[in-house]
Amino acid sequence: MREALRRIGAIASKEFIHIRRDPRIMIAVLVMPTIQLLLFAYAISFDVSDVPTILLDGDRTTASREYLAAYEQSDFFNVVGRVESQQAIDDAFDRSTARIAVMVRPGFGEALARGEKASVAVLVDGSEPNSAQLGQAYATALNQALGRELTFEYLERQAIDPTRAGGITPFIRTWYNPERRSADFLVPGLMVVVIMIVTVQQTAVTLVKEKEQGTFEQILVSPIRRGELMLGKVSPWVLLGVIDMLVVTLVAIFLFGVPLRGDVLTLGVATFLFVLCSLGIGLLVSARASSVEVANLVALLISFLPGFMLSGFAFPLHSIPRFLQVVSYAFPGRYMVTVTRTVFLKGGSFSILWPQIGALALYAVVSLTLASVLYSRRPD
Amino acid sequence: MTDALDMAIDARGLSHRFGSSVLAVDDVSFQVSSGEIFGLVGPDGAGKSSLIRMLSTVLRPSEGDADIFGASVLHKPDAVKPRIGYMSQRFSLYPDLTVTENLSFFANLRGVPRREIRPRSARLLEFAGLTEFASRQAQFLSGGMKQKLALAVTLIHEPDLLFLDEPTTGVDPVSRREFWRIIAGLHRRGITVFVATPYMDEAERCTHVAFMDGGRILFRDTPAGLKSRVPGRLLEVCTKEQRTTRALLEPHPWALSVTVLGDVVRLIFTPDGPSELEIETLLSSAGVVTQCVRPVRVDMEATFAFLAEEARQNREVAS
Repeated sequence: MREALRRIGAIASKEFIHIRRDPRIMIAVLVMPTIQLLLFAYAISFDVSDVPTILLDGDRTTASREYLAAYEQSDFFNVVGRVESQQAIDDAFDRSTARIAVMVRPGFGEALARGEKASVAVLVDGSEPNSAQLGQAYATALNQALGRELTFEYLERQAIDPTRAGGITPFIRTWYNPERRSADFLVPGLMVVVIMIVTVQQTAVTLVKEKEQGTFEQILVSPIRRGELMLGKVSPWVLLGVIDMLVVTLVAIFLFGVPLRGDVLTLGVATFLFVLCSLGIGLLVSARASSVEVANLVALLISFLPGFMLSGFAFPLHSIPRFLQVVSYAFPGRYMVTVTRTVFLKGGSFSILWPQIGALALYAVVSLTLASVLYSRRPD
Repeated sequence: MTDALDMAIDARGLSHRFGSSVLAVDDVSFQVSSGEIFGLVGPDGAGKSSLIRMLSTVLRPSEGDADIFGASVLHKPDAVKPRIGYMSQRFSLYPDLTVTENLSFFANLRGVPRREIRPRSARLLEFAGLTEFASRQAQFLSGGMKQKLALAVTLIHEPDLLFLDEPTTGVDPVSRREFWRIIAGLHRRGITVFVATPYMDEAERCTHVAFMDGGRILFRDTPAGLKSRVPGRLLEVCTKEQRTTRALLEPHPWALSVTVLGDVVRLIFTPDGPSELEIETLLSSAGVVTQCVRPVRVDMEATFAFLAEEARQNREVAS
């Protein structure tokens, strides 16, 4: 046992020397994640604001003017003009000078005055689905809020108790991320992807490099066991992976203003397990890759694509094809993304996240064991 | 029965197969006693490395087995490992670790008692003449120094048997001599050395030599015993027209083997063949200009050239 620990220690401290002497690794580990986080977070922001909007007032009453003024006050809509005809709306859409058009039909004011449903048309240019969808949602919300206000005002003027007026108006509220800031939504998920890319990449190379250097044979003739070799290889990277996560978390909090509402310990434990999972994947790649180049490429493919597509960080997992949903369980990203989002945004802790954390623990054990089994002791 | 304790290597029907058909090592059996310097010579691709790697537990034999000091490489590799040192053909240390770091890494891996690491490293560095380079990263050592460091590393756990796979390939002649001086020193201390080499002059320094070709050991003996198998005299012809010379000499029945070695053509011919003068005349009458025609003592180079040729002809006859 003591001898085993000594051998693990020998491998671990040797790995640290490699890391210390290679500035590229330090950069890859500490600087790259931050840069990647910044790049990705700014590049794939889903925030929509200042959507060019045109207004068509077909009613020209006080009520319609008040109604349309609400659009001008919203940050979401950027009113670029008022038009007089539907033809002008078509033109604006064709020329892409506007993406949303709000049309108040004649009789709007009268209908409100009679307490009837007033109709407003919101036209959305669907060629940019993301803004279109959000635009629609915002306009609907705006309509409902305004509609209620207008109705209330009317009812109050008539001295009727508004609560008894009947007619339910839906009231929409977004939880956890009330401003619907996409940074809050994206950054916790992105952290996971970035950590995964870095750690898988680094460990994927480590065993292949020993083979290419010929040092692997020297290790083979020593009494070290596979498991010991794996543990020794992994331990420095666990430390670096956790440090990575810390750096990225600080960037998320202080640069992107992502709130950390939950339990830090839960996040720490999950991070530790997740890093082990990534290292397990990296070692799996390394155990089977034929050269450093192959290892690098496979590591990139295996961490990058599933990280993006199957972790649920950018695309909700329930909306991807069934087959891919099943595949996504084979990558630790999906569990960890749930953990970071829940801890950061919902203030969750172990009591809620134990299934995900359990899955990560199991995954770590399985991947590391598999890697040491696949890394055959005697090559053919 | 030979003392099992005196037996360093006992290989029985060792084979190694690459893929499904290529036999790198083909049913090899031999024994090496403790205290020998056993030289394994043969051309590239003869199967020397595969054989060494099987004996040092790095490669699993496809068939057969070998006992190292009585422990099977197949079934008890963990009993074999502490007693052997293995130096592979390529430099196989960490280039970014210093000389000392490489030594202490393998010392820890090999379970050398902690308090012994420092004095033993110092002794080995002294021995290998690397003391002043102790804190230099291995990648910045010269070829010869790298090999000596690799040797020092394989000695850190004080093995009884050393496997050296072409340790001096690509090393300058001075370093080669020095390397062999070290090996001779180890031999005097009772360490058994099993060394593969493509250099015939190195084979001369071994106590026993085996010639390997095509995955098989064709013959093995002491260097003197091998040389006595050559039934003729050796003549060196210095000329610029090596090919013509060879073509002129080869057809004669008294010419046992003709090989070109650098700018010299070496002829082994039967004792009842022509005299040196007659051969010189034969060449000059064919218009070949020679700078020298001189008899030399049969050396390992010539021995192997002859024995390899003989083995090739025997194989052809057999098939």
